[in-house]
Amino acid sequence: MWVVIAAYNEASVIGRVINEVKRRGYPVVVVDDGSSDRTADASAAAHVLVRHPINLGQGAALQTGIDFALERGADVIVTFDADGQHRAADIEKLVQAIRVADVDFALGSRFLGCSDGVPVARRVLLKAATLFTQLTTGLRISDTHNGLRAMTRRGAGVVRLRQNRMAHASEMLSQIAASGLGYIEVPVTIEYSAYSMAKGQTIGDALTILLDLFARRLYR
Amino acid sequence: MIAQTAISMLLTSVAVYAATERRRSPVVALLSIIAAAAGLYFTWTPDHATQVAMWAGVGRGVDLVLYIWVCISLIVLLNLHLKLRRQMDLVTVMARTIALAEARHRLSEKADRRRFPEAVRDR
Repeated sequence: MWVVIAAYNEASVIGRVINEVKRRGYPVVVVDDGSSDRTADASAAAHVLVRHPINLGQGAALQTGIDFALERGADVIVTFDADGQHRAADIEKLVQAIRVADVDFALGSRFLGCSDGVPVARRVLLKAATLFTQLTTGLRISDTHNGLRAMTRRGAGVVRLRQNRMAHASEMLSQIAASGLGYIEVPVTIEYSAYSMAKGQTIGDALTILLDLFARRLYR
Repeated sequence: MIAQTAISMLLTSVAVYAATERRRSPVVALLSIIAAAAGLYFTWTPDHATQVAMWAGVGRGVDLVLYIWVCISLIVLLNLHLKLRRQMDLVTVMARTIALAEARHRLSEKADRRRFPEAVRDR
């Protein structure tokens, strides 16, 4: 199993995040997405560091991490955010859910779990994203933009993220829906901080995501 | 006659270019071909252009042809944008390949250092 952490300019928090995950006994691969700060140095505690030569986007970094984990023979791959919003304790819940429910994807949901301090605007945006996903993919998901997810090797094989930036979350859900593979939502905790809120998505980002998803349909 | 011929050659070029792009961007290709065909038709039948323009509330036939030309330009711009996105896809694949190759190399060096510490020290 591998935990994939995509990081861009997270030098101030990535070390703590890596150590929290490692303390639980999980091997960590950090994908440094062309950071301009000392994220790479701060990721020294990771088992493996993969560095993009240029900044490509979170989607691209996650796919690189997934490719690395598959190369290393991972049977389960977990994606985990670098900004400290996720709790390492939730990883075990996702992995157990995959095994118990015998599915290929376990998707974290803050709305089934705990998400104190979500601003109203962010909550509205996330609910709109959920509705959009339900309409376009048919998936009954309560949290469509949660970076904490686990997938089996077979599940990772059907994921092929071509959306480099924030639209990758919607793209992954489309691919899960199209694959017909089983999935389950798992309650997880999202811990908001001023730091993570500053890095979160805005309404402008939501419009960019829609544009990216639309543009992808226009070419092969 | 000279202007019509020149415009016809340009619009035909647009249609041919669009046809070559149909596999990569079918929607853009179709829109371009339709716009080019409409432009060609109205260039040689300006009276029809005037009738259609009046029906569409545009005003004059020549205005209609101008608007069609603007549409063609916007479609070509869209196609350029899509080409840039495709280029970015290729850049992503290349960057990923480099990143993974470097990571593999570092892991292999680390493994060598653990297996043959004397050899690495003497190097």
